[in-house]
Amino acid sequence: MESSFGEKQRSTVASQFFTGTEDAAMDMTTNEKVVDLLNQAALMSTDDKLTALKQVQELIINKDPSLLDNYLDEMLAFQNDKSIEVRKFVIGFIEEACKRDNELLLKLLGNLNMVLKDDSVNVVKKAILTLTQLYKVTLQWLLRTKSISDVQEGCWDMVTQMKGEVLAMLDTDNDGVRTHAIKFTESLIITLSPRTSDSDVPKKQEGDVSLDKVPKDHSYIRYDVLCEEGKSALEQLLKFMVHPAISSINLTTALGSLATLARQRPMFMSEVIQAYETLHANLPPTLAKSQVSSVRKSLKLHLVSVLRHPSSVDFHGQISTLLLDLGMAQNEIARCVPAAAQVRKRPRHEPYSEGKRIKMEPALIEDDDDKEEPAPVIAPKPSATTGTQSAIDITAEFLLPLLTPENVANLVLISMVYLPDNMPASFQATYTPVESAGTDSQIKHLARLMATQMTSGGLGPGLEQCKAREEEGKEGEADAAVAESSSKDPIIIRKVSAVSLGQAISVVGAYKSEATEETPQAKKLPEPILPSTQPKVPGSSGRKKVFRLADVVQPMSDSQLDKLTSMAVRRILESEKAIARSGMSHVRVKLLARLITQFEGTMKDDMLRFILEDIRSRIDLAFALLYQEYNQYLSQMPSGSLDSYEHCLFELLSGLQERPEQRDGLFNKLVLEAPLITESALEVIRRYCEDESRVYLGMPTLKDLILKRPSRQFQYLHVLLDLSSHEKEKVRSAALNIIKWMYEKDHLRDYIEKFALNYMQLLVHPNPPSLLFGVGEDTEVAAPWTEETVRQCLYLYLSLLPLNHRLVHELAAVYTEAIADIKRSVLRVIEQPIRGMGMNSPDLLLLVENCPKGAETLVTRCLHILTDKVPPSPDLVERVRDLYHKRVPDVRFLIPVINGLEKKEVIQALPKLIKLNPIVVKEVFNRLLGTQHSEGSSSVSPLTPGELLIALHNIDSTKCDMKSIIKATNLCFGEKNVYTSEVLAVVMQQLMEQSPLPMLLMRTVIQSLTMYPRLGGFVMNILSRLIPKQVWKYPKVWEGFVKCCQRTKPQSYTVLLQLPPAQLASVFERCPEMREPLLQHVRSFTPHQQAHIPSSIMAILEANSRMPEPEPPQHEPEHMKVQEERELHTQLVRPMTQVETPAPVVVAPPELPPEAVARREEIEEPMEEGEAGTECLEIATEATAQIEALAPETGVTPVPQAKADEPMETTPTELAEDQPREVVEDSGAEPETRADDPE
Amino acid sequence: MPSHPLRVAVVCSSNQNRSMEAHNILSKRGFDVRSFGTGSHVKLPGPAPDKPNVYDFKTTYEQMYSDLVRKDKELYTQNGILHMLERNKRIKTRPERFQSCKDQFDLVITCEERVYDQVLEDLNSREQETFQPVHVINVDIQDNHEEATLGAFLICELCQCIQHTDDMENDIDELLQEFEDKSSRPFLHTVCFY
Repeated sequence: MESSFGEKQRSTVASQFFTGTEDAAMDMTTNEKVVDLLNQAALMSTDDKLTALKQVQELIINKDPSLLDNYLDEMLAFQNDKSIEVRKFVIGFIEEACKRDNELLLKLLGNLNMVLKDDSVNVVKKAILTLTQLYKVTLQWLLRTKSISDVQEGCWDMVTQMKGEVLAMLDTDNDGVRTHAIKFTESLIITLSPRTSDSDVPKKQEGDVSLDKVPKDHSYIRYDVLCEEGKSALEQLLKFMVHPAISSINLTTALGSLATLARQRPMFMSEVIQAYETLHANLPPTLAKSQVSSVRKSLKLHLVSVLRHPSSVDFHGQISTLLLDLGMAQNEIARCVPAAAQVRKRPRHEPYSEGKRIKMEPALIEDDDDKEEPAPVIAPKPSATTGTQSAIDITAEFLLPLLTPENVANLVLISMVYLPDNMPASFQATYTPVESAGTDSQIKHLARLMATQMTSGGLGPGLEQCKAREEEGKEGEADAAVAESSSKDPIIIRKVSAVSLGQAISVVGAYKSEATEETPQAKKLPEPILPSTQPKVPGSSGRKKVFRLADVVQPMSDSQLDKLTSMAVRRILESEKAIARSGMSHVRVKLLARLITQFEGTMKDDMLRFILEDIRSRIDLAFALLYQEYNQYLSQMPSGSLDSYEHCLFELLSGLQERPEQRDGLFNKLVLEAPLITESALEVIRRYCEDESRVYLGMPTLKDLILKRPSRQFQYLHVLLDLSSHEKEKVRSAALNIIKWMYEKDHLRDYIEKFALNYMQLLVHPNPPSLLFGVGEDTEVAAPWTEETVRQCLYLYLSLLPLNHRLVHELAAVYTEAIADIKRSVLRVIEQPIRGMGMNSPDLLLLVENCPKGAETLVTRCLHILTDKVPPSPDLVERVRDLYHKRVPDVRFLIPVINGLEKKEVIQALPKLIKLNPIVVKEVFNRLLGTQHSEGSSSVSPLTPGELLIALHNIDSTKCDMKSIIKATNLCFGEKNVYTSEVLAVVMQQLMEQSPLPMLLMRTVIQSLTMYPRLGGFVMNILSRLIPKQVWKYPKVWEGFVKCCQRTKPQSYTVLLQLPPAQLASVFERCPEMREPLLQHVRSFTPHQQAHIPSSIMAILEANSRMPEPEPPQHEPEHMKVQEERELHTQLVRPMTQVETPAPVVVAPPELPPEAVARREEIEEPMEEGEAGTECLEIATEATAQIEALAPETGVTPVPQAKADEPMETTPTELAEDQPREVVEDSGAEPETRADDPE
Repeated sequence: MPSHPLRVAVVCSSNQNRSMEAHNILSKRGFDVRSFGTGSHVKLPGPAPDKPNVYDFKTTYEQMYSDLVRKDKELYTQNGILHMLERNKRIKTRPERFQSCKDQFDLVITCEERVYDQVLEDLNSREQETFQPVHVINVDIQDNHEEATLGAFLICELCQCIQHTDDMENDIDELLQEFEDKSSRPFLHTVCFY
């Protein structure tokens, strides 16, 4: 490339030099200029250096060749320049220099030999081009010299050696180098064969040397050797062409070379045409479609050029057939045939053609053997066959008669079996519909095609005959050692001895003899001029033609193999980006997946690690691997193991879990697209779900899995269900949400329900089963139920409850069987689900209606939950009422629905209600008074506050003790917002109008007055109106009356003065200190006023000064008693004795410390007992603090199960004693003190 | 790393549209590029398909321009011919015929199969001397302005890729296969020798 470039530029460079620098350098001699330029060049950049060196070359080669020798060394010093361009330039310089002065070959061939092994292919290519030229130059030069010196001999040996090296380059890896080697071979063949009269001779090569110019008597260069070398080169070229994996460019090049050969050396016409035929029928399968068309185009072009050559006349048939197949029209072909050709015969190269048989002769060619053996060379000449009849011809002739229609049909049928699935590109391109099928010419063509195939496949009579001929020839040979080697490629042996220093890959016994030859030869070879102390590279070029893998490779150790394998895989792994750029990623992925699944060892882990480093972009690799593993497993069915697949999937999933960012959905994708979810993979998914920070990924994935993988649906569902009782709230609720959603699906419903039920039914066991503690944990069989374990069993069931109300019955069934601790827990957790069901749930109503024995607390709890925020529905009320009246007459059932009851019912139940635990009572009142729920305005109490208070006053004291009633009224008074002064006034008014007067009337009056002092006037009015009702007949009331007067003095003086004298005296008896102030009061009256005071009164007022005891009072009481008894009889309700007995207590409170009172009251309460009390307490208050405080107390108490079954009816006394303390602290004390401590 | 800038020739039939478009782009990208036609004459569209304007290769673009302006300025402005000639003038003075050029190239790119055949025929008919290889690649481009532009970019990309290969001759095969896949058009490719 460079030389031509140089040539082109030569004139310009020179002119530049001479015009541009002439003036300045006028006085400089050429010598000085060269020195100057060389000095500069050493320091210049590549481009300038090239320019300078070109100038030097111009000066010393063209301008003043006498300087050439002087500066040779300096120029060659650039041979080691780091720039490829400079090195190439030096090669060009060598060529020019040698052409200018042939003697320089002696010096420069060594350098050329060196650069032939340069690292850069471009330099090597340049060297090949130069060698192509210099080979001819050397030959010509040596032929001119009659007596050849040792050095010249060495020179020729060197050239021959290099020639061998370049021929060997036909097998290098580099396409471009091969191309150049082909061209070299072409030129070599031309040179080493005789020019004949029918040769085309390019004008420029007119003077070139060729074999016919070689004298047969040359002292060193031997005609016959060169001739053989030429033919073997041709053989190599032909062999090269039929290589099945030849590149399209090499093929094109070779086609061109063959055409050139055919035109310039028509003696090779037959080989060339055969080669074309073979190629056309066997286009390399590696070619792409467009390459096939390129090659066919070249073939056509070259065939035409051959066709035009007059010597091709004998082959026009074959060429035309080929051209027709290549799509050229008949008339076009005809136009290409030279007119003269018709007349031409093929006489001249006959002797040479015969001589080509010699090429089959192996041993003739030992070029260093001094014994001349020209005789055997010509020996086979007399063989019978004509020159052009080759193996193919013979086989074709043999086949021709066999191609009967029947045979052909059979052939077609048989070959059907071997047709490939896809039409190869080459076939597609070459196929032309068979014209003229069945005609003689077509059959001939077919025979020839088949013969070509058979011969190249090593079959057929033609080949056998040829072989036989060879064998014949061989028998005459003396050299048995050589003959034993495969007769196919005899050249190798010769080449080896001539060229190689021992690296030949396959040498049959030639090494030894060669070594002896080597020593004298080495002396003669031209030494390269070495500018630096570079060690001489020994000639290294082995022939690789007969290549047996086993000869060159040694078995590697296992560890080596492993290492190499994994390194190879790693390289593929790491070439990710490069391959991605080339768009072949999918191939890489596939390759990796296949490779990795096939090997054991750490590679899999490496790959998995690699994938996990950046799984986002390598997910396709992950999938490919996964599928490949699965495929592997399937292909080994049924014995195959899933281990490898499982490991792969497991690692991928676990690896994913460790990644911080998870929003890309890779996990989901991986799980859903994996061909099979194994146990361990499921475990990873489970881990995902259990990880609070991953649950948002894990759960939807699990859900998808359940829905989209129906075959193992229940297995996955089981995992999900398991998670529903997970200890982490987040996990649990996520699982429950999904389950609830799935519960709607019919096909999953049963399974879920069954699972939930089983789980809940665990509660009937006395101890929690091991199932509830994770698999790993040691299961203590005796571990007691805890709140936690109980809840675990219930989460799922309870979350299903609102979706399927029927479940509530089973819950109740389990409840009745469960132990007390569990019952308590159940009561605590059912609030949400029960509320979710709502009070209209028919199943819930049914439960209330049936109320299984033992489930009373549960039902009560349900009722409370239902009515906590909303008023009870009539339906519910009805059921409760039924339950209460017909089955379980426990008044506590009524509490939740109390606002739904009728007034009468409430009043009826009131005595029982107020006897309950004070807190419960408070709750009842809250409900009745509407003070419980702020938004509960919708719940309308059947009783107004006033009515309630009145009802309390009217409770029959036989049904309820006075204590409870008083406490109940106190509760009312506690609600100051409800019981305003107006309400109380109305209450007092109504009570006062009753007959008989309620026992607690005055208590209420006094309390009202304490609360609202401004009611004073009203109270006075009440008091005075009581007098006509003979209030003194009711001892309790009377007592209160007096007390009231005492408190309200001086207002009450007026009232006192209205009393009859006896009663006034009775007042003074009770409160003597009142008399004096009242007397003073009367005395302050105006005389007129005093006059209105009856004297009997006055007498009592002044009694102290006179008589303390007047008569009438003694009489009066008697009368009163009679009257009183009469009234009692008419009422028949209230025995006086009963009223009286508790009386002192009523008055007593002020003297007792409130705590003591409360305590006593509590003890006296008959119905409140331990279990029930606790439960009710909880129900009523819902204060968890209290629950917590109570739970341990009850928990430590060994409660016999029998008793726990129906807590309402049993009374563990220990508990009863604990009870009051709590109560007093909470609520009991305050209203009591307020009410009873007015003093 | 290529040892020297590629010497590229772009060849179409008349050295007017396709080769010039590519010439334009390639030279802008710094390639050592020349352009040629292989036809025996330079043909430009005329008033009717059967009446083209025919010039010989000696005629300059400038002369053609004047000629067409004189004939029908409107028509040739409208069909873009004048614009094209304008562009061509800026690149070189006159069209060149490939067969008359004896300079050597590393890469010859032809714009249609017929041109490819003509180039091969010419190169093969020359006497070989240095055996310096030249790669010939055919990229089919329809002869209109739009396709010429698209084709020029494809050619440019191809040249850039070839220029950047370490070892052009070794890599070109594969490179072309890739390009075929990418552009989904086939390339003819061969090598000739000087």
